[in-house]
Amino acid sequence: MNLFIMYQLVALGMLGLGLYGMLLRRRLIGMLIGVELMLNGAGLSIVTTAQLTPASAQLGQLGTLLVMGLAAAEATLVLAIVIVIYRRFNTIEEQKISTLKG
Amino acid sequence: MDTMAYIAFGFYTIICLGGALWAVTRRSLVRAFAGLVTSLLGVAGLYFLLAAPFIGLMQILIYVGAVAVLIFFAIVITGASREAQERITTTKKKRCLAVLAGLIPASFLAMAITKYSLVTNNTPPQVSMEDLGRALLGPYGLVFELISVVLFAAMAGAVLLGFKRRQ
Repeated sequence: MNLFIMYQLVALGMLGLGLYGMLLRRRLIGMLIGVELMLNGAGLSIVTTAQLTPASAQLGQLGTLLVMGLAAAEATLVLAIVIVIYRRFNTIEEQKISTLKG
Repeated sequence: MDTMAYIAFGFYTIICLGGALWAVTRRSLVRAFAGLVTSLLGVAGLYFLLAAPFIGLMQILIYVGAVAVLIFFAIVITGASREAQERITTTKKKRCLAVLAGLIPASFLAMAITKYSLVTNNTPPQVSMEDLGRALLGPYGLVFELISVVLFAAMAGAVLLGFKRRQ
């Protein structure tokens, strides 16, 4: 059990918890919190691989920076969509915002 | 010195996973948000331990500073903290399925990682901030420009969505 595997297991724990949270939450913001947890796990995994293996450390750190930028863009858009949904349906529960009833 | 590093690793791991667990199990969204911030700070600590201080600082600046505030404003605006009072019962079956859905991919990947070991070193290399900046403006300049375009598009889209349509 070396250091690399321990860091990767922490990242995988965040992935698992994020997936669990995303599937279980009823409200869109709760699902977004799950997604953020998963993205953080991914960033941690990338930095670990870059720093603790012979792979290019510089490239890994830059990749994580880009993941952070994408996460910020994604959070902005999701929250704008949440606000639009809230205006239209007055709720952000995913069960109640379906207008196409099957 | 080595044991100190392991103690710090354990400490940050507990913050990280404990915060994440708190974030996905609390019913109230404000509490879940607090758990998310704790978890993000734990990840920043792990970045510092990995000798990537710039990434750690960016984690605090971008996630804890910007994304967390954004999420908090969304919770406040949509009144999600009030809605939390009504108890929503989650069926046991759904909960079990969610646990499985989180556990299966994570355990599969963990098996792959522990089985096929890579060549690893326990002392991470130092990359100076200057090198990172030079790489971003040199060989990876296109990526830098593209991410700014993506951020601009997201910002413009958010502003567009936020406008109230006149009746």
